Amino acid sequence: MAIDAPQPAIEIRALTKRFLGTLALDGVDLAIGEGEIHALVGENGAGKSTLIKILAGIFPADQGEIVVGGRRVNPYAETVPIAFVHQDLGLVEELSIGENVALVAGFPRRGGLISWKEVWKQAERIYAQMSIAPPDPRAPVGSLTAAGRAILGIVRSLSRNARIVVLDEPTASLPGPDALHLFDVLRRLRAAGTSILYVSHRLNELFGLADRVTVLRDGRRVRSTPITDLTTEAIVGDMLGRELQIHHAPSARPRSTNALLAAEDLRVGNQGPLSFTVGRGEIVGLVGLRGAGHEVIGRSIFGAHPHASGTIRLGTDVLPADMPIGARIGKGIALLAGDRLAESALGGMSLRENLFPNVQTVSGALFKPIDAARELGVVRDTLERFDVRPRDATALIDWLSGGNQQKIFVGRWLATGARLFIMEEPTAGVDIGAKGIIHRLLRNIAEEGAGILVVSSDFEEVATLCDRALVIGRGAITSELAGPELTLEGLLTRSSLASGQGERVH
Amino acid sequence: MDKGMLDAAAGAAAKSPRRATPIATVSNFVAIYGLLLVLLLIIAVFGALRPSTFFSAINFNNILMSQSVTAMLALAVMMPLATKQFDLSVGFHLGMAQTLIVGLQVQQGLDWPVAAVLILFLSLLVGIANGMLVTLFQIDSFIATMGTGTLLYGVTNWYSNGEQISGMGLSDSFINLTQIVYGVPLPAVYVVIISLALWIATEYLPVGRNLYVIGANVRAAQLTGINVGGHVMGAFVVAGLLSGFAGIVLGSILQTGTPSVGPEYLLPAFAAALLGATSIKPGRVNVIGTIISVLVLAFSFSGVQQLGAPFYVQYFFNGAILIVAVGLSVYAARRRQRAAVNTSKA
Repeated sequence: MAIDAPQPAIEIRALTKRFLGTLALDGVDLAIGEGEIHALVGENGAGKSTLIKILAGIFPADQGEIVVGGRRVNPYAETVPIAFVHQDLGLVEELSIGENVALVAGFPRRGGLISWKEVWKQAERIYAQMSIAPPDPRAPVGSLTAAGRAILGIVRSLSRNARIVVLDEPTASLPGPDALHLFDVLRRLRAAGTSILYVSHRLNELFGLADRVTVLRDGRRVRSTPITDLTTEAIVGDMLGRELQIHHAPSARPRSTNALLAAEDLRVGNQGPLSFTVGRGEIVGLVGLRGAGHEVIGRSIFGAHPHASGTIRLGTDVLPADMPIGARIGKGIALLAGDRLAESALGGMSLRENLFPNVQTVSGALFKPIDAARELGVVRDTLERFDVRPRDATALIDWLSGGNQQKIFVGRWLATGARLFIMEEPTAGVDIGAKGIIHRLLRNIAEEGAGILVVSSDFEEVATLCDRALVIGRGAITSELAGPELTLEGLLTRSSLASGQGERVH
Repeated sequence: MDKGMLDAAAGAAAKSPRRATPIATVSNFVAIYGLLLVLLLIIAVFGALRPSTFFSAINFNNILMSQSVTAMLALAVMMPLATKQFDLSVGFHLGMAQTLIVGLQVQQGLDWPVAAVLILFLSLLVGIANGMLVTLFQIDSFIATMGTGTLLYGVTNWYSNGEQISGMGLSDSFINLTQIVYGVPLPAVYVVIISLALWIATEYLPVGRNLYVIGANVRAAQLTGINVGGHVMGAFVVAGLLSGFAGIVLGSILQTGTPSVGPEYLLPAFAAALLGATSIKPGRVNVIGTIISVLVLAFSFSGVQQLGAPFYVQYFFNGAILIVAVGLSVYAARRRQRAAVNTSKA
């Protein structure tokens, strides 16, 4: 409050929201100046989403006011000039990129009819205005990578010339270089006077990007100060209200000679030939930039993507290419899929059912009654151990935050008794508290003798979590980092070299 | 120390907002048993308005007898619906089985058990065909089963030449399949047995959970190792067998083979299955919800009829109920999503 921006573009005063007796927001104040990037951080459950949903008019506030451009507004009752880019980008998969842009920016018309030529041109123009090389606007959204989709989501929301933009975890699925590129775009927007409310779990990226940061905890504002006054540790301390214990991988872990997984001359998709091993008790990172296509390597081991040639060995067994997923699960392989919503979540179903979606993998039979007592015991255990909220086996998965959902999906695979875990972006979009819990959990699993292959573009995570990292570039393992070499800087350098410098010009 | 524990307890209470408040308990009760309350209400209201006729054993037995076929068909469509697949062929399938069970006895001189086994074998093949079109050839189930259903209608009319087959000479043992024993129509007993079997399968066996998992998210189902194709195929086979069985029962009730009968059962069957998804297990189709829905539809229509509504009111009734049923299930789904907002506070 000491340093207030001269003229707030948006000011939130004493915002309060109560759900069934729980204070989700408790008198929160927040002011964002014109041309300011304002970071909003807090653990899942701190009230960030509630605040954003009130701004978006999804539900009304109980008390407090919102002032935009000097005028008191009620987003629940009227349209306010704020653009939103959510984690779920709201793109229409079946339509083209140009049409998705036009859905927000408007369809250019000629003589009352849609001018398709102009639709394509408009998309290219809007991309170009932000200095992003436009993809073919006639191509379907489905042809874009996750990074391309995120950029499309942001690009089209900005096309409306909104003066205030709320970005909810825009970099959750973006690899380093693309995130940096996005930051460039955001800085340019700031220079042009746009106010940005930036919600992120990746604290490091806030430094050098945000001007000010507001920390929420349990529905209250803990602080709202210029970021230059702060350190990561200070922000984390504010978020948690306690000191964070970051787990660091043991630096000199003995290389296991006893390989659990061995891939030899594996070719899959445009990847390969690749040879690597994962030992018992080892956490191995398989890293590459998003769009590198390295996800198919993990998927081929799980049987979700056919491998063209080479051998995959689990222990001493060779897994044939046509072995179905179910049989591989029976052998002890697990895949935690990267796209939580599309590939893991069973919407409308309970936590119990989400933990045990395929009882056959646990009990072996399709027509043997489900052992309810045993299931409920495991559910109770899992909710307790992973600190899932709410702690209720009958709660629907839809009611949980991303972090809590992910804990359930990790638990799902633990229940199958897997010994090789393939984990794609295990903590994407997960708050820092849950991230710590998940990381500790993975370490525990490894210590009990399982092997873990972390397929990720989150270098920070790989550096913290893994014993060893394989950097993939152009379909081959270009380097292997372990011990003291395995750092964020090391991974960033190796992977950007691996992808080829000329490939990603902006 | 004490204070600290109290704070901790208060914190725990705040963090589990789904604790049972009186309002939450009541609304939860209504969500689960609402349809049952509606059924009781309908019986009470029409019973009060027309006590002598509505409460008569004849009326109840009529309803149970005629609605048992609807109930079997509703359960038939419910199984593929659990995996989010439609089986629109069940109405035509019912008609074919009903025509054949009479025709094979009267025209071909087969004993009814032989005819029944032949028909059920045919039903099995129809179920497999539907399942293959949907899983192997990836044809949208709506289209695929509309196609197979129309083909079946063609078979029915080809066999019967479009004419009613008189049931003269049907054996007593066949007719007795649908007699009233100790005041209870046998078809109602069949429905109870089938419902029980399906309820156990869907609620207590892994195979049932797998069906719902497929319905919730096919991709996730595949990635947890569920044999999606096999389960969807199984659901269509069960739908086919139930349709065939319902046709045999209907043949015994009507005692004539009528090729035009069948399609009109499709809509009430879907209405019941979808309306059933609003209750007992809100948000998903389920056996008990389906059965209660059949009774709700039957009793309310019977009541309206006894109040003097003309025959064509049933079409208004069925059409409106289908829309209301889907509307209610959409509303129930939205309510549950809103519960999400109330539960996880961020």
